[in-house]
Amino acid sequence: MIDLQGYGPRLIEGAGVTIQLAVLSLILAIILGLLTATAKMSRNWFLRRTATVYTTLIRGVPDLVLMMLLFFGGQIGVNAISDMLYYNYDIDIYINFNAFAAGVLTIGFIFGAYMGETFRGAFMAVDNGQIEAGKAYGMSSSLVFRRIRFPQMMRHALPGLSNNWMVLLKTTALVSVIGLTDMVRVAAEASRATHEPFTFLIPVAVAYLLIASVSEWIFARLQKRYDIGFGGQ
Amino acid sequence: MAATPTPLEVRNIKKRFGDTEVLKGLSLQAQKGDVITLIGASGSGKSTFLRCMNLLEQPDDGDLIVHGEPIRFKTTKHGREPEDWKQVVQMRAKLSMVFQSFNLWAHMTLLENIIEAPIHVLKKPKKEALEHAHALLDRVGLSARANAYPAQMSGGQQQRGAIARALAMDPEVMLFDEPTSALDPELVGDVLKVMHGLAEEGRTMVVVTHEMSFARDVSSQVIYLHQGLVEEAGPPDQVLGNPQSPRLQQFLAPKY
Repeated sequence: MIDLQGYGPRLIEGAGVTIQLAVLSLILAIILGLLTATAKMSRNWFLRRTATVYTTLIRGVPDLVLMMLLFFGGQIGVNAISDMLYYNYDIDIYINFNAFAAGVLTIGFIFGAYMGETFRGAFMAVDNGQIEAGKAYGMSSSLVFRRIRFPQMMRHALPGLSNNWMVLLKTTALVSVIGLTDMVRVAAEASRATHEPFTFLIPVAVAYLLIASVSEWIFARLQKRYDIGFGGQ
Repeated sequence: MAATPTPLEVRNIKKRFGDTEVLKGLSLQAQKGDVITLIGASGSGKSTFLRCMNLLEQPDDGDLIVHGEPIRFKTTKHGREPEDWKQVVQMRAKLSMVFQSFNLWAHMTLLENIIEAPIHVLKKPKKEALEHAHALLDRVGLSARANAYPAQMSGGQQQRGAIARALAMDPEVMLFDEPTSALDPELVGDVLKVMHGLAEEGRTMVVVTHEMSFARDVSSQVIYLHQGLVEEAGPPDQVLGNPQSPRLQQFLAPKY
């Protein structure tokens, strides 16, 4: 067994941070992605425009820059709000802009843009006759979405979704720059302190691989579930 | 004045796609038990007309009155639109449509297809919906296929399933959009037989079709459309048996 020189518990804690960060960011990214896709397909000019600006911005600016912008910018914004509350309403609170929240927000925000494209393509792949049948049977738009559009879109979205998730998972390694202690940061600290980088980096690599393999298994099951009825049984 | 309101009435429907005016003012009135067939060459506007009746297409002009209730419209920058989509949704629940390409929901079994709208739109209890669905499946001869997915069924089975799905709504009027046009010839008969039965039990139906024998045998009224206008209309004996316009005579003449 490798000797982790007492860093074991912190590494495990770091892995926990990585997983929480990744899962919460994924949820946010999916919500933003669905909204973006809907906005891009809307006939409202303003919504379409906003969604396009969002995806263009995200795809053009490095993740690291966005993360720092949001973290430092977020703290400034929160400070401004608490100042305003203090001077105008005499409410004295100090809010610390949480690094974890900043991480989730940034990663979710970045991947929401990529998810948006994935979902848009998937929505367009659904046969219009299926949607029309829903409408013709008195379903409201939200019911059509929940019962027909979404379940039929998923089988087209899953390959792209799983791809985005794998990239997202690895992007979480960037959060150390805003002071979050994920497993990469712990491993880097330990490597520097002990001059034994492989002792820490290889377990971290294996941990990522493990998460990736479990995810692949989950995505394969989801794909099977959403392929039902489409000749994929 | 009839005791019950007219199930479906449309007046002076107009519709254009770009520069082409496809419907130039069409009207129709379906009383309870009427079977109205719309015939005409492709491009005559008959399917578009039918799709205007449940607002899958938005007519540019004209009135739509379902069960005595007029649909309210407003004009926006996108053209004429229903004022209240909730009203449209409620109206559509009273008119079931059977599509040319069946459009059974692919991710659901046949049984799930049939109970879907009764449960989620009409808010029927599941048990009741299931009982009704099984009775309908039996009626269209598909009891054995209840748990099949549409992709596992033949076209004729899918269309009979789609008719069962339409019946599950207890519709005021059934709209059929060329229900047999996508079927192999040997499968057409089963579907027509089911439709025949519906006409006999007094269902109100509006049917776009190329099946002249069906139009002749079951319609109370036949409407022949040409380029977005009614060319001839009346009981089948008259329209199909003794066509007046040369165009209809040619349309009905054997093609070989």
